[in-house]
Amino acid sequence: MTNPFSTEAAGLQGRHNAETIFKLSGLTAIVCAIGFLVFMVGSIAWTGSGALRESHVQLSIDLGPEKVDPSNVEAASYQTIVRDALKERFPEVTNRRDRRKLYGLLSPDAALELEQYVLDNPSVVGGVADIWLLASDDLDIYLKGDVKTELDESRRKFSDLEIGLADSLVQEGQTRRQFNTRFFTNGDSREPELAGILSSLIGSFFSLLVCFVISFPMGVCAAIYLEEFAKKNRVSEFIEVNINNLAAVPSIVFGLLGLAIFLNFFGLPRSSPLVGGMVLALMTLPTIIIASRAALRAVPPSIREAALGIGASKIQTTFHHVAPLALPGMLTGAIVGMARALGETAPLLMIGMVAFIADVPKGILDSATALPVQIFLWADAPQRAFEEKTSAAIIVLLLFLVLMNLLAVLLRRKFERRF
Amino acid sequence: MSDFQSKFAVGVNPFARQSKGFGNAAIMFVLIACSCVAILVTVGIVMSLIFETIRFFEQVPILDFLFGTHWSPQTALTADVVGSSGAFGAVPLITGTLLISFIAMCIATPLGLASAVYLAEFAGPKVRSFAKPLLEMLAGIPSVVYGFFAALTIAPFIRNSGSAAGFDISSESALAAGIAMGIMVVPLVSSLSDDVINSVPQSLRDASLGLGATHAETVRKVVLPAAVPGIAGSLLLATSSAIGETMIVVMAAGLAANLTLNPFEAVTTVTVQIVTLLTGDQEFDSAKTLSAFALGLFLFVITLALNVIALKIVNHFKEQYD
Amino acid sequence: MLNNSVESEKKMAEVETALNSDGPIIQAKDVSVFYGEKQALFDVNLDFEKNQVTSLIGPSGCGKSTFLRCINRMNDLVDIARVKGEIIIANQDIYAKDVDVVALRAHVGMVFQKPNPFPKSIYDNVAYGPRIHKTVSTKDEMDYVVERSLKRAGLWDEVSDRLDQPGNGLSGGQQQRLCIARAIAIEPQVVLMDEPCSALDPIATAVVEELIDELRERFTIIIVTHSMQQAARVSQKTAFFHLGNLVEHGDTDQIFTNPQDDRTENYITGRIG
Repeated sequence: MTNPFSTEAAGLQGRHNAETIFKLSGLTAIVCAIGFLVFMVGSIAWTGSGALRESHVQLSIDLGPEKVDPSNVEAASYQTIVRDALKERFPEVTNRRDRRKLYGLLSPDAALELEQYVLDNPSVVGGVADIWLLASDDLDIYLKGDVKTELDESRRKFSDLEIGLADSLVQEGQTRRQFNTRFFTNGDSREPELAGILSSLIGSFFSLLVCFVISFPMGVCAAIYLEEFAKKNRVSEFIEVNINNLAAVPSIVFGLLGLAIFLNFFGLPRSSPLVGGMVLALMTLPTIIIASRAALRAVPPSIREAALGIGASKIQTTFHHVAPLALPGMLTGAIVGMARALGETAPLLMIGMVAFIADVPKGILDSATALPVQIFLWADAPQRAFEEKTSAAIIVLLLFLVLMNLLAVLLRRKFERRF
Repeated sequence: MSDFQSKFAVGVNPFARQSKGFGNAAIMFVLIACSCVAILVTVGIVMSLIFETIRFFEQVPILDFLFGTHWSPQTALTADVVGSSGAFGAVPLITGTLLISFIAMCIATPLGLASAVYLAEFAGPKVRSFAKPLLEMLAGIPSVVYGFFAALTIAPFIRNSGSAAGFDISSESALAAGIAMGIMVVPLVSSLSDDVINSVPQSLRDASLGLGATHAETVRKVVLPAAVPGIAGSLLLATSSAIGETMIVVMAAGLAANLTLNPFEAVTTVTVQIVTLLTGDQEFDSAKTLSAFALGLFLFVITLALNVIALKIVNHFKEQYD
Repeated sequence: MLNNSVESEKKMAEVETALNSDGPIIQAKDVSVFYGEKQALFDVNLDFEKNQVTSLIGPSGCGKSTFLRCINRMNDLVDIARVKGEIIIANQDIYAKDVDVVALRAHVGMVFQKPNPFPKSIYDNVAYGPRIHKTVSTKDEMDYVVERSLKRAGLWDEVSDRLDQPGNGLSGGQQQRLCIARAIAIEPQVVLMDEPCSALDPIATAVVEELIDELRERFTIIIVTHSMQQAARVSQKTAFFHLGNLVEHGDTDQIFTNPQDDRTENYITGRIG
């Protein structure tokens, strides 16, 4: 007796195959989306990791008395000293154009660095010293092996001459790579090898500070009113509709608002973290209100009834008993909102936080830029070396986002209460 | 009884409302004021956009803006014609925006829906707890990162594969921006649709399975049709966010205001033009600067309308099964 | 496609022949059900006769619904549920490894506690089963199947002029009869009903009960009910469950007039439950 309910007997193979295909297509979609995520972050991280290392070139530099006056070290022309050292290292380079390429192997900042070195180590003055100097971005790229030497010379920036010079330096062991601290301690620069994220990071920090100081208290107060005090009527409903819609307004529109009202109407300083933070605060407000209301709703009515039952007023009940219990939830929402604000770029472009800022801003009124804007600016920069700087800046930004979200998760875990 | 009387003077209501004092009133005032900020912001947005837009339409006729097919605001002022500067036909920008959003939705709809169906119906709790946060990470990544990736990796890839196949593809194609944007809104589609699919009552699944339908047939023929309104709402929300997205298109779509539906050509969008018009130096009475606000108002109205409709549909859908 | 449907019709006929042989149509042997660590059903042995209505009664949580859902393996949908023992339909243990639940459920249909019509038209609700099982190939045939099923469910006269209207638009009693029409459209041999009247008003309940009695001619019906009066009215056989045990089973008259077990007596006289 065969089984009448078996797949074969009932002729169901086709339908089961269709089911398998259906399931697989769902799985494929998820794998595609997550694969894209992994590929994108992975390739950016791979590119960005290059920016964490910088190249140096060792030159024997003549700091004899005819070059540096020992009694007045600062007066020497270090630019000339560096160039002389290069000329001496490569006497075969004679023609003017080639000489310029030769000088271009070192960063424009190399002379400044040499001066600093000499000031720090006065003992080297008067003799010849082997000193490591910062390489230019082009040489750095070549040393990292990212120049396609098989291309025709006219199609690449790094010429055959420069390749020859670089190879000679490598052969003599006169190049080295080391960790790039400049990337974290410098402001923006036109020279990729000098550019760093510190100024934009501080700009982001000030903006977020302003954003938090404005949006958190405001969002919490609004949430408390709407959740605990407001009667269900047209007004509270209108407010609610407004909040929900604001959450979906494109961020660039908030930028237009900041431009028209904060800058043009109130005349607040352009490009400042103050205005940036205010715009971000308005954007973050709906997120915080919605999260805070959810946190308040999670506090069980029994707590309110207990407080009201022993004669506390509504306001006392809310501020002494309900709000403190909801605070961790509110903070979690605020952190998630801040993380989104940290990645926001478009509204900051509108209010002028897009300028070239090399100096670290000292306060919320200084001109500043923000980390995502810095990424945008570098992505637009023509030099190839900025590609890895941009990638590295993105990784730093993503790290901060991960940290903030992790903090939110931890906060939620720690204070999660089962009422 | 006597105890009660001794505590309270005769003739005085012992339960009389006590004066709440100035403090309480101040607290309530602050709370209400903060709640009204949301309204203030909306009003602020509308006012700032409308005033500048009106000033713009004093210089450029509204019909030229809405139906003109030529956009070149950068043209210098000619000395003799005061106030006229270039052409302000917004049609190429609108078609560009729609083209890129359409490409984005072509990517996000199948990926997001299929992910949502799999997560809601087939995935075990382990896969779910692993895949859902990863998908949501796609939404957490700032758009400037997608823009960078689109410009640096996707666009050259499309260009190279195009030239390998003999096509000439612009290095700033609508396709590159659309793909990046599509991936970015996948989690929006998937998490909303996941919600919607989960709110389809289990009893409908039981009925279908009890009739001998396979799980996939149940999903395709019962669950998804029942969830269609909610899914439509989630797609509208995703479209709205694609239309308002700025950084990806600024970095990957380009500035050329071509009136085309060819995804391999460079197009520009409303948001790109707002950024271009308003970054850098600006005088606040030129039509060029003011046109950005007209574009902003257009963007605001469109996204607002899409959101209101989408939220209505989704709420109506959820009430239906409550 | 046509071939396919002929093929599957042939298979259906084979099962039908197997089911039409004499003897009990369903035999449960030592059926136990576990939800995780907890045992919900203890070694139930019960045979069901063809073309009869069998009621499963007992206080809530006694395992009667759990047992019913074992018969077309709806318990498979509960991750933690585990079934031990055998249920034999058409000489085949339906818990054997090579049994396809899809094929099984085509022969053992189910009607649920709450009317659950699909959010489709009345016509599409009834046509759903024949469509997925491809038992019907032409539009005319489908029209005929839909009409026949609605007529058997006693709903035809009420809805024949609005077959394209949504099924959710009907009244509760009509919705439940629509669900019955949907279940019998694929001509199962057995129809399981899980408290089909608990969400209906008394008048709708009476109509459905009458319908169940008529359906007995063509189908074997197993009905879970919490109402003893309903069991007495519609069923020929009754099985009484208590705390996961099958306490007593037999002819309905005998169970209600002359119960053998004290627990049964206590239940039908209202002392437990």
